[in-house]
Amino acid sequence: MRNISPLRQIVTQFLLALTGFFVILPIWGIARLAFDGSLRGRPTEFRLLPKEWSLTAFLNVLDKPYQSVSFEILLRNSLVVSLGAAAIAIILGISLAYAFARFRFPARQGGLFAILLTAFLPPVAFMTPLYILLSMLQIRTTLWALVIVYSAFAMPFCIWNMRAAFQAIPKEVEEAAFLDGAGDLQTFLHITLPLALPTIAISGLIAFLMAYSEFAIGWLFVDKADTVTLAMSIYAIVQTQYQGGAQPWSYLGSLALIMSIPVVVIFLIFQRTLLERMMFGSAE
Amino acid sequence: MKFLNPQLTQTVKRHPSILRLLTVIVILALAWTLRSQAVKMLPIDYDEDDYLRAGQEYAHLIRTSNWSGFLEANYRPEHPPLAKIVIGVSLLSAPEKPLTPDRPTTAEPDRYLPRDLVRPARTTNAVLGWLTVALVGSVNPLAALALATHTFTIKYVSQIMLEALPALTSFIMVLAYLQFKKSRKTGWLIASAVFLGLTAASKYLYCVIGIAILIDWYLNAKDEEQVNLFFRQAAFWGILGVVIFFAMNPYLWADPLTRLRESVFYHAGYSTSAEEVERANFPFWQQFNWLFVSPKIWHRDLFFYAPDMWIAFLAFIGLGRLWKKERVYVLWLAAAMLFLMVWPTKWPQYVLTLTVPLSFAAAEGLSEIWDQIREWWQNRNSNKAIYKKSEVSRATPWLIPGLTAFIILTVFPLIFQIIVSTTDFNAASIRDGFQGGIWRAFWQGITGQIPIIPSEGGNPNEVGFTGLSTYPFIFDAFNTGYGGGFSYLFFNIMWMVLSVVLQVGLGLGIALLLWQKGVKLGKFWQALFILPWAIPEMIGAMMWLNIFLEDWGWLYLAADKFGPGSIFGKFTSALASSPDLWLIIFLLPALWYGFPFMMLASSTGLKMIPREVYDAASMDGANALQTFRFITAPLLLPLLLPAILVRGIFAFNQFYLFQVFFFPNATLSTFSYNTFNPTGWFGGGQFATSAAINIINVLILVVFVYLFNRWSKAGEGVTHA
Repeated sequence: MRNISPLRQIVTQFLLALTGFFVILPIWGIARLAFDGSLRGRPTEFRLLPKEWSLTAFLNVLDKPYQSVSFEILLRNSLVVSLGAAAIAIILGISLAYAFARFRFPARQGGLFAILLTAFLPPVAFMTPLYILLSMLQIRTTLWALVIVYSAFAMPFCIWNMRAAFQAIPKEVEEAAFLDGAGDLQTFLHITLPLALPTIAISGLIAFLMAYSEFAIGWLFVDKADTVTLAMSIYAIVQTQYQGGAQPWSYLGSLALIMSIPVVVIFLIFQRTLLERMMFGSAE
Repeated sequence: MKFLNPQLTQTVKRHPSILRLLTVIVILALAWTLRSQAVKMLPIDYDEDDYLRAGQEYAHLIRTSNWSGFLEANYRPEHPPLAKIVIGVSLLSAPEKPLTPDRPTTAEPDRYLPRDLVRPARTTNAVLGWLTVALVGSVNPLAALALATHTFTIKYVSQIMLEALPALTSFIMVLAYLQFKKSRKTGWLIASAVFLGLTAASKYLYCVIGIAILIDWYLNAKDEEQVNLFFRQAAFWGILGVVIFFAMNPYLWADPLTRLRESVFYHAGYSTSAEEVERANFPFWQQFNWLFVSPKIWHRDLFFYAPDMWIAFLAFIGLGRLWKKERVYVLWLAAAMLFLMVWPTKWPQYVLTLTVPLSFAAAEGLSEIWDQIREWWQNRNSNKAIYKKSEVSRATPWLIPGLTAFIILTVFPLIFQIIVSTTDFNAASIRDGFQGGIWRAFWQGITGQIPIIPSEGGNPNEVGFTGLSTYPFIFDAFNTGYGGGFSYLFFNIMWMVLSVVLQVGLGLGIALLLWQKGVKLGKFWQALFILPWAIPEMIGAMMWLNIFLEDWGWLYLAADKFGPGSIFGKFTSALASSPDLWLIIFLLPALWYGFPFMMLASSTGLKMIPREVYDAASMDGANALQTFRFITAPLLLPLLLPAILVRGIFAFNQFYLFQVFFFPNATLSTFSYNTFNPTGWFGGGQFATSAAINIINVLILVVFVYLFNRWSKAGEGVTHA
């Protein structure tokens, strides 16, 4: 194949630039708000650039973004909930994933189908029963409830992906360990687990992100300000606009940027593996 | 068949055609019962007074043998006279009554039409509608069952409307054409042309079916390399049709061109300016809504059950099979649907242009499902794996901890959800429910200690048992869009299809652009395009809200600044007045968020295609389009199918985007959330209803996941590993 002609190069670059504009437009819109120190509530006039360049919104958001709750508490809540959910989904799911990857047993196919199905269910499908069940246990409004809810969302997905990771490891590697006299558990801990660890970590990362950016169900469960997560606080800023709230939209913009930047970096680094996992292993 | 005597059973077995005949007779009896009930019970609808008046005029002309009067009579001249003349003939047996008053098309239905005129006119239409069912039954009894029970069809063939006659003649036109295709006998060609003329003389709209015939005919001729013959025959068919149309249209004889022009152009004017059309303000997909909803909402006492939604679903499944069996029906459906989507007037009776092929497709869909189940049943033992006892016992310690967690966190909540959906648990009974009332109601309910009560009965502060009665209630609500003629299920599916088509289109397009050899800045563009995928969905949605939020969004601020004449101003005013443009303020964010995934998936797939294939193609002198059509697409598509389905399922479940935009009735997810949310938009706190919606959602996803399983390589792992 030859290199493309100059004319085709120009057309290609033009189309790519057009798509680039589409991609950048909304990000620019929110960044403009974030850096504008003049905003008192929502924006009132059309501008392409901030009226007064300033970082006050970022500084304020890093101090007290939502009501009187400090940023540290919001971040702590977010991390507790997301890390907790990811850890539970991975640790409790791992043995099931391994069993499905390595052994044959009755009802195995039905079980796989159930895992795949539950991985594809919308979070809302778990919301109703968990709300009622956790209310019955009287822990609905705690951070623990959120951890449980988010790990219930994430677990089927994690099991499915970890199973794929274990399956990708050749059986011969394990059989060699067996011949040396190692048991199932030893083989798993010393041979299989280390090899599958990268994929497991990526599954955990996706579970983490799921919980990290969830807000709607969070607001349904939680009713105290000190159990609010970062994502919930952003949504609250938008929602209070409808009730005449006075949070400047520059807060919204800066909080959105602060929340997204670490995630964007992670995605740029791990894009290939993340893609494979999000395609439910079908790209392998 | 145990209840029949053995001899009879034997006879039936030996002659399957007898069984078939019996089935058709039962279906036809059902069809007639439903139609005659509708004739009796349907209230007077819009337009019935108009067509009754037209019929009265013709009846008077016939009674007085004033044949030349036909040259000038055609009340409501926008429609050709044949169907109205038929109504006139049906009135001959009834006593003559003063003419129904002339009223504008915007008037409310005239409830005081004389019953002894309405009855024969309606019955004649119903007979025509019943004949259509009978003809369908002669081809496929199952399709006849669908058409017989389709409530919109029943309604509009059992009223004084113009639909029954052209629906019948257009079907005969197609049947005659099919006979001609098989036998090549000119007689059938002439018959088809005659019925084309009769159709045109009854209602113009139904002529769109002729387009489907022409397409099928042309495709056939092309295969047999007889295109010239096709043009000659089709021209003959069309000209004969026109001749019959004029012959059956005495109103045109006096001044053909002017009157024809007036009649046809009336529709163009009506569709763009009539008050009632504007007031209805239907979106472009409204005709699909009419297929998924049912007139049951308007006539609760008449229709016991409305299968319309299921017929539409089954038809969708059966399209492929029908195409293989008889292409012209699928073309019929497509041509009619496309026309109705473009045509600005979107009255529900127009769906009768396509309920015949819809029924055929539904019949094929049912057969398809039946075949799938039979195949699965026959193969259920063949791929059963053999388990080694030692392996099962080795697996057990691994299964127990994981399975326990999975069941507690995931499976049990779903089962509990089924239990909740059989109660009437809501905000009023919240205290009782949280203190064990749900379990009590369910247990007493299934053991028969307490009766099944509909959701509004009983003590509001105590959880009651509703059995499965919430489900039909929800389907009814989906069916009718709570009375708004809007199908939530269809919208959800349409949303899925539209957003995925856009995402795949842009994603694949960008991947192909970047894949060309020697593209500058490729790495930079790819990194830039990944951004939307990396930004959490909710923040992405917020960024778009910042553009599209009414009055305060960027777009609206720009419209303020640059004035209503600017592109922004025009866009915002179009958004405010259009019934369907609002969809793009959701589709754009969905495209933005979803295309990077498809771009990455396509790039990965493209890398798997060896470059040598393309070198060979370029040596053979294939151009870019041919290369894509014959090499890239067939190699890439199987790799992309799973990714497409993953995106599709996510789009079907789309929730956060709509939630950020405060749009409560989009997908089943938003619907369930806002039904549940005690401070939600629908009053909220309907916990049991929300649970039932979720269960329906799960059942729909079972189908999607089944497809995913079949299409993806990962699926091979499920079935063969």
